[in-house]
Amino acid sequence: MSGAIYGGDEVGALVLDIGHNTVRAGYGGEDSPKLDIPTSIGVWTDSQDDVGEPQYKYNIGLTAIHVKRSGMELTTFLKEGMVENWDMFENLTDYIYKNALGAVPCDHPVLITEPPWVTPPKREQMAELMFEKYKVPALYLGKNAALAAFANGRPTCLVVDSGATHTSAVPVHDGIVLTQAVVKSPVGGDYISAQCRNYLEEKNIDVIPPYMVSSKEITKPDEPASWKIKNCLPKVTDSWHNYMVKEVMQDFQASVLQVSDNLYDEEIVKSMPAIHYEFPNGFHKDFGVERFKIPEPLFNPTTSAKASIQPILGVGPLVTTSVGMCDIDIRPAMYGSVVVTGGNSNIQGFNERLNRDLAAKTPPSMRLKVISATGAVERKFGAWIGGSILSSLGSFQQLWISKQEYDEGGKAIVQAKCP
Amino acid sequence: MASGVTVADICKTTYEEIKKDKKHRYVIFYIRDEKQIDVEVIGKRDEEYEEFLAKLQGGGEGDCRYGLYDFEYMHQCQGTTESSKKQKLFLISWCPETAKVKKKMLYSSSFEALKKALVGVAKFIQANEIADASREVVEEKLRATDRQ
Repeated sequence: MSGAIYGGDEVGALVLDIGHNTVRAGYGGEDSPKLDIPTSIGVWTDSQDDVGEPQYKYNIGLTAIHVKRSGMELTTFLKEGMVENWDMFENLTDYIYKNALGAVPCDHPVLITEPPWVTPPKREQMAELMFEKYKVPALYLGKNAALAAFANGRPTCLVVDSGATHTSAVPVHDGIVLTQAVVKSPVGGDYISAQCRNYLEEKNIDVIPPYMVSSKEITKPDEPASWKIKNCLPKVTDSWHNYMVKEVMQDFQASVLQVSDNLYDEEIVKSMPAIHYEFPNGFHKDFGVERFKIPEPLFNPTTSAKASIQPILGVGPLVTTSVGMCDIDIRPAMYGSVVVTGGNSNIQGFNERLNRDLAAKTPPSMRLKVISATGAVERKFGAWIGGSILSSLGSFQQLWISKQEYDEGGKAIVQAKCP
Repeated sequence: MASGVTVADICKTTYEEIKKDKKHRYVIFYIRDEKQIDVEVIGKRDEEYEEFLAKLQGGGEGDCRYGLYDFEYMHQCQGTTESSKKQKLFLISWCPETAKVKKKMLYSSSFEALKKALVGVAKFIQANEIADASREVVEEKLRATDRQ
């Protein structure tokens, strides 16, 4: 049987962590990913005739998607964390191998992260693609929540992952994700970005992305901006423009927003210091109560303004619901280790508020502890770092699905080898 | 998901020596060369709990360990007048918050293998700070499954 085991630990494995905002890729054993590229991909076509299938071209990577090209749509290949458009995913993988890392697929085993709610057909399709098309020597599919749990030194814990498109509460017991008790809500970083944009539009503040600005002059706070638009801008698509606006919003979010410690109360919040923010077109002003008002729906959905999606559960109830669905014997262990991860949890005050909301709900007999990695990078790349270390362990080499095992067992082997 | 780390036979034999023959009070395990769980320290029968805790942290604040302890306490059942001595084994994984991510990952993903190897342990405890491993917390957890 030893022939079936992939026994080469001399070459680093490739670790791929696919998120809704960015895709992280790099070699196992390293501290941080080599690549952190946007998941959004530019799609365009230059065929003029309407005959036959149009030939799509893809712009991938941070620089390439910022190219101003008329008719280029920015789309994503993911849906609920799972690959939906395999053609685009293949193009992205090609890009990672050829352009970004300069690696040959058949040299490196691959570890790919997946969401806890991934379906068996999606996993099998992933295995098929990696083995059949890229001829990788070995593959492992790891649940991102379990990897984040291990990276925090807790094989048993409740992982709260707040990413770009959703926030989820995932119970992990002895390194196994309890899929039946996973609770998620479609509120994440993108939702907060949309809320920011709605708010600014209500206040008649135009958000002009940097690509339109050719020059700007210094103005006084709250005064209309004085700026010049760039000449000869190509006619860009709505999706592209929206993405550029979203980038400005993400910066705004990171520098201005904060979650209030208690239930949002305008009177209390008024006394908090305001933060000054300047938009790309030179308009600048102080933001006071808005700082707290915009992210409040994350924790308290009833305060949400008009939006395309309405959250039902705040982060606190998300956790308590998930714990409530677990076996009664492991509930104390879940409350005892709540691990917070994901890029959206970097918003100021996220942990403190979650701690407070949960403290009120935790049964008195149980001890509550909310933990998160200290650095923003560790939180953003939590699952990637976990995968990187796991794949570099000497002992892990026997757990890969080797090419030979795949050839013998077929694609259904992923279910058996990667729990 | 697991790490593939194996458990050395000496761990099982030492465990049996505690469980059956009561020869030692505790054992500290560590992972050798990222490959195998091995015995680091064996504690004498008359050593105190504090010594166990000190040895558990023997790797310094940046390292992790596993520990097995034969815990004794007095327990009085409802309706009886005399209390009796109880002995329970517990297995603890020690991953301090200050440990390197690599160590945390290695020890937490290998704990399952040790759990499976040592059959008959009353309680598994996951400790990430010293308060989680204190005598009071441990005793409370062990007592939780006793009849009143």
